[in-house]
Amino acid sequence: MAKIRKIMLTNVATLNTEAKIGDAAKLLAENDMGCVVVLENKAPVGIVTELDFVRNLNSKNINLKDPIEKIMTSPVTFMTPTMKLDEALKIVDTKKFRKYPVVENQELVGLVTKKDIINFISDNLRLHRNIQNVVLVLFVLFEFFVFVLSSYVYKFLHLGA
Amino acid sequence: MIKVRNIMSRNVITVAPSSSIKDAAVLMATKSVSGLVVVEKNTPVAVISENDIIKGIVSKKIKVRDVMSSEFNVISPLTRFSEITKTLRERKIKKFPVIEDDKLIGLVTETDIVEATRDFTRFHEIVQEAILAIFGLATAFFLFYFSPLRASIFGS
Repeated sequence: MAKIRKIMLTNVATLNTEAKIGDAAKLLAENDMGCVVVLENKAPVGIVTELDFVRNLNSKNINLKDPIEKIMTSPVTFMTPTMKLDEALKIVDTKKFRKYPVVENQELVGLVTKKDIINFISDNLRLHRNIQNVVLVLFVLFEFFVFVLSSYVYKFLHLGA
Repeated sequence: MIKVRNIMSRNVITVAPSSSIKDAAVLMATKSVSGLVVVEKNTPVAVISENDIIKGIVSKKIKVRDVMSSEFNVISPLTRFSEITKTLRERKIKKFPVIEDDKLIGLVTETDIVEATRDFTRFHEIVQEAILAIFGLATAFFLFYFSPLRASIFGS
C-alpha cells in the first residue's frame, strides 16, 4: 500500500500567524492549490481555504486588514508522510475536510487533498484489477489442465473416478 | 456504466453576469456549493468558482461578469463518465453543466466525479471478490469431485 509521501504536494503556500486576511487572499488568488497553511515555528496551526473566504464574506463582512486568525480553521487535522492511504481515507471520511497538511517532526512538509487520495487509490485498484484478471485466466487454464490430467492419473492408479 | 444523470447535482445554482460578486459568494455559502453557473437567457455562458471570487476580491472587481471564467464543458445526460474524467485530468476543466432539450438540468463538479470514482471502485472491488469466491468454491468442488476421497465416500 502506498504512503502519503508518494502523493503529497510539496510546494505549499504558507503564511505566519501575524499575516493579514489580504495576504491570504492574494496567495489564494495566485496559486491554484485552494488553501493557505498558517504556520507557527514551522508547525501548522491553522488553514485558510477558499471556502472559509467565501463563507466569511457573507457573515462577518471581512476586512482585508484583519488578522488571518479571524477566518482560519484551527486546529488543523494533519497527516504524516508515513501514513498509509487507507488510513488516510478513514480520516477523510470522518473529518470531511478537503485538504490536509502533512507534518513530520512538527514541521510542515506537504499537503494532501481528498481528491488525490481517492484518485490514487482507484488508479491503483484498476491496475490491481487487471493483474487479478490475468491471474484468474491463468488459474482457470491451470485448473482445466489439472482436472483433465488428474482423471487420467486416477484411472492409471486405479483409485476411482 | 455510470451515467451522468446519476452523479450530477440537480439543484444547480445560477447567477446572472450582472450580479455582484458578493451576491455570488452569499449564494455559494448559503447553498453550500463550490461553484455557480452564470446564465444568460437560460443558456450557461460561464462558470464562477470560489477561486474566481477571491481573485475578484483581491483585484477589487464588483460584478460577476468581470471574474467569471469560460472553463467549462457542456455535457448531455448521456455523456460517458470516462470522457468527463479524461477532460478533468487533461484540461483541468472542473465544471460540467448538463443540458437536456436546451434546458440546464444539472451540474457535474469535481467533487461529484471524485465521489462517483470512489463508489465505482468500491462496487468493482465487491464484484471482483464475488467472482473470486465463486471460482474458489468451484475449484474446491472440482477437486473433491475428482479426488479418491469422493469415491471412497460415495462409491464410484
